[in-house]
Amino acid sequence: MKDMEWDSNGGELLHTPGGVKDTYGAECTNKLKVQSAVHEVLNSYGFRDIQTPAFEYFDIFSKERGTVASKEMFKFFDRGNNTLVLRPDMTPPIARCVAKYYRDEDLQIRLCYIADTFVNTGKYKGKLQQVTQAGAELFNDDSSDADAEMVALTVKCLLKSGLKEFQIEAGHAGFFNGLVKEAGFSEGDTSKLRNLIESKNFFGVEDLLDNLTVSTELKEIFLKMPEMFNNLDEAAEFVKARSKSKEVYKAIERLKKLENILKSYGFENYITVDLSMLSNYSYYTGVIFRAYTYGNGEAVATGGRYDGLVSQFGKDTPAIGLAIVIDQLMIALSRQKLLDEELLQGTLLLYPQSLRDEAIKKAEILRSQGEDIQLVRKSPAKPIEEYITYAKRMRIKKMLFLKSEDEMVIIESDN
Amino acid sequence: MKYLTFALAKGRLAKHTLQLLEQIGITCEEMKDDKTRKLIFTNEELGLKFFLSKATDVPTYVELGAADIGVVGKDTIIEEGRKLYEVLDLNLGKCRMCVAGPASAKKQLNNGSLIRVASKYPRIAKDYFYNYKHQTVEIIKLNGSVELAPVVGLSEVIVDIVETGSTLKENGLEVLEEICPLSARVVVNEVSMKMQHERITKLIHDLKQVVPE
Repeated sequence: MKDMEWDSNGGELLHTPGGVKDTYGAECTNKLKVQSAVHEVLNSYGFRDIQTPAFEYFDIFSKERGTVASKEMFKFFDRGNNTLVLRPDMTPPIARCVAKYYRDEDLQIRLCYIADTFVNTGKYKGKLQQVTQAGAELFNDDSSDADAEMVALTVKCLLKSGLKEFQIEAGHAGFFNGLVKEAGFSEGDTSKLRNLIESKNFFGVEDLLDNLTVSTELKEIFLKMPEMFNNLDEAAEFVKARSKSKEVYKAIERLKKLENILKSYGFENYITVDLSMLSNYSYYTGVIFRAYTYGNGEAVATGGRYDGLVSQFGKDTPAIGLAIVIDQLMIALSRQKLLDEELLQGTLLLYPQSLRDEAIKKAEILRSQGEDIQLVRKSPAKPIEEYITYAKRMRIKKMLFLKSEDEMVIIESDN
Repeated sequence: MKYLTFALAKGRLAKHTLQLLEQIGITCEEMKDDKTRKLIFTNEELGLKFFLSKATDVPTYVELGAADIGVVGKDTIIEEGRKLYEVLDLNLGKCRMCVAGPASAKKQLNNGSLIRVASKYPRIAKDYFYNYKHQTVEIIKLNGSVELAPVVGLSEVIVDIVETGSTLKENGLEVLEEICPLSARVVVNEVSMKMQHERITKLIHDLKQVVPE
């Protein structure tokens, strides 16, 4: 057997690093279409675009700002030896911008973006490290109407992208936080408990609580969390009989309001409430939500209220945001066969050299009518069939051949 | 109806899991044929699919959504460190993750000296020594017959699964420290849990009734 040594002939130059990829052809067209459909929805709700740098100082994303773990950021140094990171998340930079550019504004600020985020996950995990997100952030509005609008906007964006079956799960960060505060757990135990609840490991939760000092009432609530699905009145009753935490009551009340307002949007069927839902971003303080669909293992959209984050940049402002994870959404759309992956597009206009002037004029006319025209001068050495197979190969929808000044033949692609 | 796909860790555990599933009315006749070369088995009636994979790959299939539900040992779950819902302890394949070695190695575990640790579970070993014991060690990743390492002088101690301890004893080794108890767990993909919530919770609920004490 031959050893595994291939002559690479410069082939190593063709590869991208693991976790990033090229997007081209129909895949790229489809991604841009979905992106702009989502973008239009965001604009139509009054969100105005913002762009921030791809890299910033590490401190913007550090632990207190609660985004991804330090280890999972791409880091490098500038000439002054400051640590820089490629943004792992768009929310902290936008919060920074609001504190900087809208310091004195105390009514709504609506900002939206389409941007790539970078997370340095392990190798061979089957995950992308560069992910396109489309998102919106609403500042200076702490009302439950704002909560509901952002959830509704998520539904609207997903519908516009072409997705049909999906579920949005909503929870409230204050529910868990309130319970933990009432129980008085240490930081270490809280984080253990958080991890167990996040992985829905409730026999693990039971084990842990057995080893901590906690009232039986609160323990009952923690263990009941996974079953507190959807019936908020029942949950409220159960919790009120066992907890004295105002924060916990408030969380449930807030979710009730959210459910109610979503009825006005007609979107109540897309939402389920899950009180055991926690967020991996610790900056969330209120309503949190995630959207799931068939065909991929991760959420296609996430969002939540983060009333404490902007104040870390020097402006005390309530805020709520959402992010549609475009790359995950594309995987879902593709697996659910909701995309035209055999997309044919554009027109090829073939002309002999002698008719160049007419060809250029014709092409301009057709372009002004909204067609995409690719001009190709026919080489006398090549038969027209060669161009026909070329058009098929390149997935060009239609081919025109300029025979004479006033005769143009249409050759339809039949694939 | 959408299929629910199960990823089972090859071997004894898969057999026991199938027996449990049979008790709650979920069968897969195709799988009982020992000679079959098929990789994936279907129960059309119930809308279920099953496949067997290497234990260490089960969390990968489940995390990325290629399987909705998996059954795999807690050791693999910790070692792989993937994002999964761990919903049920099946109480099968009970054993312990331990630090083992010759009795003489005991004092090196207590005086914080730099020792070599061989293991199939580098992540668990590292986490235990660095974050729990606060001892700096050199970890050597092996792929099997880990007991050999201290015997031939590749390492001072090993981190491995211990069931009865007889292999250790026969080679002049013993359990020096216990890291954590282990057993088989049911894991579920995060999205599947939401999208097929009713079916999956019913299944878990039914399984809970037949789990051996």
